[in-house]
Amino acid sequence: MPLSAPATQPLIALRDVVKVYATPAGDFPALKGITAEVYPGEFVGIIGKSGAGKSTLLNMITGVDHLTAGEVVVRGPGDQQPVSIHQLGENALAHWRGRNLGVIYQSFQLLPMLNLVDNITLPMDFCGLYRPFGSRGRALELLRLVDLEGHAHKLPAYISGGQQQRVAIARALANDPPILIADEPTGSLDSLTAETIFELFEKLVGQGKTIVMVTHDNSLAPRFTRRLYIADGALVEAESYASQ
Amino acid sequence: MLAMRPRWRKVLADLWENKARSLLVIVSIAVGVFSVGMIAGAYVIISHDMGASYASANPANIEMRTAPFSDELLAALEQVEGVEAAEGRCFTSVRVRTGPDSWTSLNLVSVADYRESQINLLVPLEGAAEPGRREVLLERNGLEKIGAAVGDVLEFELPDGTVRSMPVTGIVLDQSSNAGDFLASPLAYVSFDTLVWLHQPETYNRLYVTVSSDSNDEAYIRQVADAVNDRLERSRCQVYRTHVNKTNEHPLQSTVQAILGVLGALGVLIVLLSSSLIANTLSALLSQHQRHIGVMKLVGGRTFQIFGMYIVLILVYGMIALLIAIPLGGQAAYALAQLIADQMNFNLLGYRIVPLAFLIQTVIALGVPLASGFVPVNNGSRATVLQAVSGYNPGAVQSGWIDRLTSQAAERLTWISRPLLIALRNTFRRKGRLALTLFTLTMGGAIFVAVFNVRSALNNYLDSIGHYFLADVALNFDRPYRRNEIEDVALRIPGVEAIEGWTYASAEVLRPDDTVEVNLQILAPPAGSTLVSPNLLSGRWIEPGDEKVITVSEGMLEHYPDLQPGDTLRLKIAGQEDEWTVVGLFKFVGVQGLVGYASYETISDLLTQPNQAFTYRIVTDQHNYAYQDQMAATIDRHFRDLGYHVSLAEAGSDSLDTAAESLDILITFLLIMALLTATVGSMGLAGTMSMNVLDRTREIGVMRSIGAVDWVVMRTVIIEGLIIGLLSWFMGCIVAVPITSLLSAIIGQTVFATPLDFTYTVTGVAIWLGLVLVLSALASVLPARNAARLTIREVLAYE
Repeated sequence: MPLSAPATQPLIALRDVVKVYATPAGDFPALKGITAEVYPGEFVGIIGKSGAGKSTLLNMITGVDHLTAGEVVVRGPGDQQPVSIHQLGENALAHWRGRNLGVIYQSFQLLPMLNLVDNITLPMDFCGLYRPFGSRGRALELLRLVDLEGHAHKLPAYISGGQQQRVAIARALANDPPILIADEPTGSLDSLTAETIFELFEKLVGQGKTIVMVTHDNSLAPRFTRRLYIADGALVEAESYASQ
Repeated sequence: MLAMRPRWRKVLADLWENKARSLLVIVSIAVGVFSVGMIAGAYVIISHDMGASYASANPANIEMRTAPFSDELLAALEQVEGVEAAEGRCFTSVRVRTGPDSWTSLNLVSVADYRESQINLLVPLEGAAEPGRREVLLERNGLEKIGAAVGDVLEFELPDGTVRSMPVTGIVLDQSSNAGDFLASPLAYVSFDTLVWLHQPETYNRLYVTVSSDSNDEAYIRQVADAVNDRLERSRCQVYRTHVNKTNEHPLQSTVQAILGVLGALGVLIVLLSSSLIANTLSALLSQHQRHIGVMKLVGGRTFQIFGMYIVLILVYGMIALLIAIPLGGQAAYALAQLIADQMNFNLLGYRIVPLAFLIQTVIALGVPLASGFVPVNNGSRATVLQAVSGYNPGAVQSGWIDRLTSQAAERLTWISRPLLIALRNTFRRKGRLALTLFTLTMGGAIFVAVFNVRSALNNYLDSIGHYFLADVALNFDRPYRRNEIEDVALRIPGVEAIEGWTYASAEVLRPDDTVEVNLQILAPPAGSTLVSPNLLSGRWIEPGDEKVITVSEGMLEHYPDLQPGDTLRLKIAGQEDEWTVVGLFKFVGVQGLVGYASYETISDLLTQPNQAFTYRIVTDQHNYAYQDQMAATIDRHFRDLGYHVSLAEAGSDSLDTAAESLDILITFLLIMALLTATVGSMGLAGTMSMNVLDRTREIGVMRSIGAVDWVVMRTVIIEGLIIGLLSWFMGCIVAVPITSLLSAIIGQTVFATPLDFTYTVTGVAIWLGLVLVLSALASVLPARNAARLTIREVLAYE
């Protein structure tokens, strides 16, 4: 597995990203000038301990939070021009995110009042890709991909946590984005279920998706195609991280 | 359904997911839409049908009570310029037996030719359309009082004491003859050839005239009335009272419309209150959906798309409310119109949907929720993904002066139990929500209290009018008798303590050009009478020794706005014109016509009936209604047995009771509207308490985990509800002051043509206190029960 970046055009480029939170105790720098690149087809793991800034970094990539300084540039599929996502307004960013990124959280974040099919077709609806009947067929295909076709019309509350996470992955794939961003996706799952999720990610990478995943579990490091270690808001070398 | 977009499925799911919340919003919209629809529908129906129904009877534009006149004079009157048609009728005041020992007053109306009659037309409702010889038709309005039906034989006691029996052969509707007179006796109709058998002359004493040109121009009608009056006087036929009416406007139309206007204003207020309830509920809904909104934005949802989803949800709420309120409002509108039509004795033209009411309801049902939901939805749809995924809420911690105050109270009031203190502090945590809830409940309470105040003001007003009728029994004869003779007879009846002989006269108030400005009924008690306790607005009352001196009711100010004590009026009484000095103005029921008081001595001289009187006021040794009624019957029998021609003997407060009965309907409607506002208010409280409990699910779990049992959790919630209820009660009592003032002014002016004195009664305040405490407790019990049912596991799983 390559540990250095491949020599092609990066899909995601973080340039000197700084995030400072204002707290009653004073400014707290969560990210201290991070520069990194993610290339097509990579399965990148961002590994760090609790409070290291890994989720903040992910929020910078997804545009969920505002950065204090620096830039995040993401290249869309095909001939799309690279987009400096923090230059986009809230609405444009939401639309862009819906088309280009699939985001998966530890707590699944499914809408409880919609069944699994509707949870998956919702991103298509918001991004103008919804086709009556056709979209539902695609949602069923995605559920088949995650082995949940038989539960298509259940509400999230009626399936297990592992199954909910698989639905969240299916939803992230709804608009066929080139990039998946996952924040501790196996954090609340047992090891057996976590393994099935990981296998699913590896399968998707094999199909050409690019995945950036955050985890605190260093034992997962060998499963990634490339690893970025983060400590105290800055990227560090693997050796330095291991010695902490 | 299969093709429905997922975002709309979410909207439907939101609607269905929390049925109680949806029901709360829908019902609160529906209550407002229903009440406005009911009032608007009734207003439109009444506005159209009251005039149309009245006009269909071809009502007299001029109605005159006169001395007897003949067909010859009637023919002459038809030649007066401006007269389209003139008809005479004969009204005879009799009594009809309603039970073994009970009688009621009734006016027997004789019409010369029912088939040729063109004015004040009768509508046959049942049985014969015209009475045969020695038969009678009953007017619909009196049926309940008389308790008779077609086929019954009724006994009539004539003024001379003779009793005649006549079968009822039909029921008719006369929309015109008693229109506008709450206190009028029921009517019955006989043929002209029955008059002799009833010991009455075959002459007329009531003149009905229609005008030939614009019959809806009051100035023109008055001009024709003056000409008719002149013609009658030239024939030495005295006119006692004149009424002018427009053809297309029922005399009480503006009164009814004004009352419906007041009810409509209350309906609009209910809509306002329900809008604050909607705003509150939607605000809570959006706050609870913050995570959903964040997730939708995470997967590509833009603000306007999410805004649109919640706007559609509001519109669906409105549509459902509309579907409920339109048919109910339509039915209620017609029922209300029918009730008013029955009371006012006119016919409705049939059930129909009122497009204007439909339009108003639609605008309210969709517009008001949209307007009240706009701010919460606009703010809520701006929730960010970060807030959703991290639970970050910058507005969660508040530290205003109320919070500091409750914190300080918590430190100092160590004797208060902690759960009670929690309830106290919880009350003020969501200040925006609390403010809207308090507003709703306060306004509901204020209207409730104000309605009781207005009711009390109306009763006080009637009481004050009762000061003009202080006698226990009113005894009228159909001819004048010598006062000392009647006094001697009356004082021999056990229970009679005092008696006064009064007389009365009709006067015309003349303009400088000798035309009649207005008719005035003059009552003439003996100077120094103790049976009148007037409510003087200015000047003084009649005193012994007064000559050509008069006091007039405040309605005279409409004709002479600058009239003051000391001014003079030129009056024509019994054919004699004289300048009379006005010494006082007093408060009286304006709609009953203009009334004046002069001394008995002056009027009886003018009428050339010195020391004689038609009417006597009697004081008995007890003053309750039952005794008065019993004494009226005893006195009546006593005088009749001695051969006196008694026309009426009734308890002194009879007329006022009739007036009070009419007001009861108004009060009932005001109370219904007050209860509707209270309902919306308590729904608001129930919604607030549910939302508060939902917001604090985690806290309740924590309380339970450290030992709070069911009752402690419930008590915290119920006490919070009661605190809000008590606060709203206190504020409602204050806000009731201006509302009472406004309602009293409008209703007094509408019903009595004079503003009511401001009255504030503890009755409404006390009832509302009890009601608000019960409503608050009820509104809190269900949320409290739900809170107590939550297990610690459920709480931890929440979110």
